[in-house]
Amino acid sequence: MERPEEVWAERAGLWTRPYVMGAVFIPLSLLGGLFPSFSLAANLYVLVLGGALLVAGMSSRMPKIATPQELPSAVVWWLIPVGLFVVVEVATYAGGSTLDSPTLSLLADPLLESYPMRSAAYFGWLIAFWGMVRR
Amino acid sequence: MSLTRFLAIAGFVAVVVAAVGLEWAARREGSRIPRLGDVAAVVMRYEAGGLPVGRLALLGFWMWCGWHFLAR
Repeated sequence: MERPEEVWAERAGLWTRPYVMGAVFIPLSLLGGLFPSFSLAANLYVLVLGGALLVAGMSSRMPKIATPQELPSAVVWWLIPVGLFVVVEVATYAGGSTLDSPTLSLLADPLLESYPMRSAAYFGWLIAFWGMVRR
Repeated sequence: MSLTRFLAIAGFVAVVVAAVGLEWAARREGSRIPRLGDVAAVVMRYEAGGLPVGRLALLGFWMWCGWHFLAR
């Protein structure tokens, strides 16, 4: 007879397979793409789906992958894209977030109006969750 | 297109190029640069007073991004 932890490990292993998560995330993304920005449906969908995943992500029972305990000093290289993003975002926001000084969200809005891009953005959002929560 | 709009777009493109380049460099054999996932893992392990504040902060930021870009 299998022990409970073996059963759990087997189930957890199933969830880590790419096609299983794809089968879950792709329909969720295609559904989410149907709801336009600023609509009640889009707000409810993101808050309910995101909230449920956030609660699941806080669980210590999620299957984890091996990661280092400490970061090497070369981690400071990551300050380049982060710092550059902060500078550009703050500068454009200070410029009024207008057509001539667009923040990232202002640039993204027209792109996210189309159904394929919107669904792809949902998929990226869900994949980002899966990438983080397994660590 | 105005110069300021061009500079803003160029700035955001540069952020993406820098991040992709760093991730590529991190995945090379023997690289000392950690992958973005490893950075996230260490941040997510941070706890204060027994609370997983690192995990909560990153997942909260993830949720805010979804709400900001997809719902608002």
